[in-house]
Order: sequence, then C-alpha cells, then structure tokens
Amino acid sequence: MGKTKEIDNILDECLERLIKGGETIEQCLVRYPEQAVELRPLLETALVTKKVSNIKPRPEFRSRARYQFQAALQETPARRGFFTFVWPAWATVVAIVLALLLSGGGTVALAADSMPDEPLYSVKIATEQVRLAFTFSEIGKADLNARFADRRVAEITAIANRAEPKDLDRATELLNKHLEKVAVLAETWVNEEEASMLRVPTPAPQLAPTSPTAPEPEPAPTPAPSPSPAAPPAPTSPPTDEKGQEDMEVAVDGQLARLRMEVERNAVRHPAALREMLETAPESAKPALRRALAITEDRYWQALEAVDGKHWGK
Amino acid sequence: MQDEERLVERAKQRDQEAFAQLYEEYFDRIYRYIVFKIGDEMEAEDMTQQVFLKALRSISSFRWKGVSFSAWLFRIAHNQVVDYLRRKAKRIAVPINESIVSGGEDPQKVTEQRADIEQVLAAAKHLTRAQREVISLRFAGDLSVAEVAKAMGRSVGAVKALQHSAVVALRKAMSY
Repeated sequence: MGKTKEIDNILDECLERLIKGGETIEQCLVRYPEQAVELRPLLETALVTKKVSNIKPRPEFRSRARYQFQAALQETPARRGFFTFVWPAWATVVAIVLALLLSGGGTVALAADSMPDEPLYSVKIATEQVRLAFTFSEIGKADLNARFADRRVAEITAIANRAEPKDLDRATELLNKHLEKVAVLAETWVNEEEASMLRVPTPAPQLAPTSPTAPEPEPAPTPAPSPSPAAPPAPTSPPTDEKGQEDMEVAVDGQLARLRMEVERNAVRHPAALREMLETAPESAKPALRRALAITEDRYWQALEAVDGKHWGK
Repeated sequence: MQDEERLVERAKQRDQEAFAQLYEEYFDRIYRYIVFKIGDEMEAEDMTQQVFLKALRSISSFRWKGVSFSAWLFRIAHNQVVDYLRRKAKRIAVPINESIVSGGEDPQKVTEQRADIEQVLAAAKHLTRAQREVISLRFAGDLSVAEVAKAMGRSVGAVKALQHSAVVALRKAMSY
C-alpha cells in the first residue's frame, strides 16, 4: 500500500515538473532512478495526453462568445453600497424583457432590424442569446429557436443579393444551430415526458390511440370515435385518476402543438423562399443559399420527427 | 490565488471588469474540458457559453467554504456535460476539427496534433468515470491535484491514485 502511495506521489510530482515546469522526462527520471522503469512509460503517456491542451476555441467563436458574454454582463445590474439589493430571478427576466421591449432609442432596439452585414447584428444575436439563457423550459427554448430560425431565413433572403458570402455563411450557420436545437430540445422534452408517463400506472379502459405508431398491447375490438380536430389531443396513457395532471398535460400539449404548427409551416415556407432566391441570386451567394436550403430541408424534417414523438393528436 | 479571490469578490459585487478577467482566465480551459468530455466541438461551444452565463447568474451565491472558484466553475461545466450526455444517449462521435487544434502555421503539425488528440480521446473511453474526470480536469482543465480534489469532492490522495491508474489505463489503451 505504502509503495503504491509513494508512486502516486512521485508520478504527480513528475507530472507537475514535466507539464508546468518544463522539465524533460530524463530530468524527472534522474530524481527517481529506482522508479525509472515504471515511471518512463507513464510520463510518455502523460506527455501525449497533455496535447489536449492544444485544443483551442475557434477565433470566431471566441469573439462571438466574448461579445455575447459582455452583452449579458451589461444586462446585469451593478451592486452598490452596503445595502445590496439582490434581484430575484423573475425580476431579472422582467427587466430584460422590458429592456428589450422599451428601449426605443437604445442599441438593442436599433439592432433588432439589423442584418448580418451590419455592425449591430452582433448585438441582435447577443440579445437573442440572453433571451434563450433566461428561458428555462426546454419547450420554450425550442419555440424561441424556431422563431430565431425564421429570422435567419428572412435575413438570408433579404441580403442574398448584396451581402458578402461570409455574412451569408454566418446567418446560415446560425440557422443550422437554431434548427438543430429545436430538434434536440423537443426530443429531450418528449423523451422526458414519455418517461414520466411510463411511470404512471395505466388504467384499464383506454381510448383508441390516435397515432398509428403508438404502442398497442392488443387490437381494439371496436373503433373508438375520433376526437374532433379542435379537441385537444388524447394521450395514449392518460393518468385519469388525477384531474390536475390531465389539465397540465392538455396545456403542455397546447405548447407542443403550437411549436409543431410553427415548424410545419416553416418546413414548407423556408425551403420555398430559399429556392426562389437561388434563381436570382448572384453566383457568390449561391453556395451559402444551397447550404441554407439543404439545412432547412433536413433539419425541419428532424424537428418534426422529434416533435411528433410526443404529438399524439397529429 | 489571492488575486483571484479579490477578483471573485469583485465579480460577486457585479464588477464587470473583474468578471471579464475571470472569463478570460477560464474560457479556454472550460472549453477544452468540455471538448475532452463530449468530443463535439460545436456542442462544446454552446455549452461553454452556458457555463459562463450560469456562473454570471449565480456568482452571488458562491461561497469560499472549502471550494475554490475554479472547482465551483468546473462543477458547473461538469453538470452541463452530465445533462448533455443524459439527453444525448445515442450521440455520434465526431472527429476533431482541425480548426480547433493549435499548431501554428504548419499544416502538418496541426494534422499530427489532431491525430494525437483523437488518440487520447479514443483511449479516454476506456477509463472509468472517475479516472476520466481526473484526466479531464487535470490535463484539459489545467487544474492542480488540489483543485481537482476540491472539484470532485475527494481527497488529494484519492485523486493522485486515480491519476496514476488513469495514466496506466491510457497507456494500455494507446498501446493497442
């Protein structure tokens, strides 16, 4: 045991000298000749492992992140004096929303209509990031990302005729991220909801499932009446013993239904708009437009699949 | 360390300059730690931003009782990673992009660095969760053994032992 502890300590000391102190393996081994045979391969491995420190953030990410962080910092009120007032979370959210809505002459308001080739565009993106950071539900974040994706397509089509390709690339990358987030967030939320549904004991009598892919232990002997289109979607396993639970599920389904509607609408609208733009755009803009088109064709499909994992009433 | 304590105290008072300095100090290390843990640099970008936004939101609740600022910050990053991995159980391994590997202007050097990093990431999959955490914090997060111990809530001796067994396991995995 003592020997093991000793080698743990020696290895750590050598690692410190090797990594932080700039010593060589040979210099380390000279200090511990008795352990040299055991130490050498470990130090060689550690040197290779240390190469992970060569991973660096991309410069464009670094500057974007710094800008966004500074924007978030500036949104944070400074504390003063001894009697420090700590804002509750809800007040912070309200303050940011008010700032976004009311700052008529401010930078944020000016930035709201800015395009990717304009200086205030970074402020616009930073403002969106702050809104996302202060939206705590996954379905809420998915909804915001879907709306921001709508903005990106509007921007791309607006500037395709005049912008530098790098500005189009920037908006296209953001579009890709937004739509990826919609799918991931919706899928996560759906999985968690389904897991929580599975934990609830299922009562014996059930409505016939409205989704053809829903699991069905036995075929229903008689067809059940279909819900009207306006009726809230019926879950496959409603916890009918708790009225409050049912109401909550209906409300949550409403959120999901709205998200689905938005995604479904844009899944058609966005590729159509980008295809139309491709016909008239200058050659320099076409690669970014093609990429944006491919993104909307793929990602919206993924997002719909993710949403439909839960959307029983479709 | 004293300087960092002063910076953190100022950051707790919402001193923007102090928080910006802490951000610069830890940004690369947190990013590297997350890339090492999840192997996806694009996701790591988003998660790095989230770590600092979370830190900004909760810095006022930070207390020095037995926890250093670095341990606190890396714990936020660790929780982000755990949430992410829980959500993305069926994640796809993404090869490391050369654009995040620093190696100066020499493309051959960059390619070699990338190959080494991929080898390390692949070998790290053979580690236990605790070994992997130690290696991530120590080599990617650039923390001392004492800081790793605080971040993981373990003794310094336990971390040294984990470090030793992790390097042995990495050696074995890299030999095949």
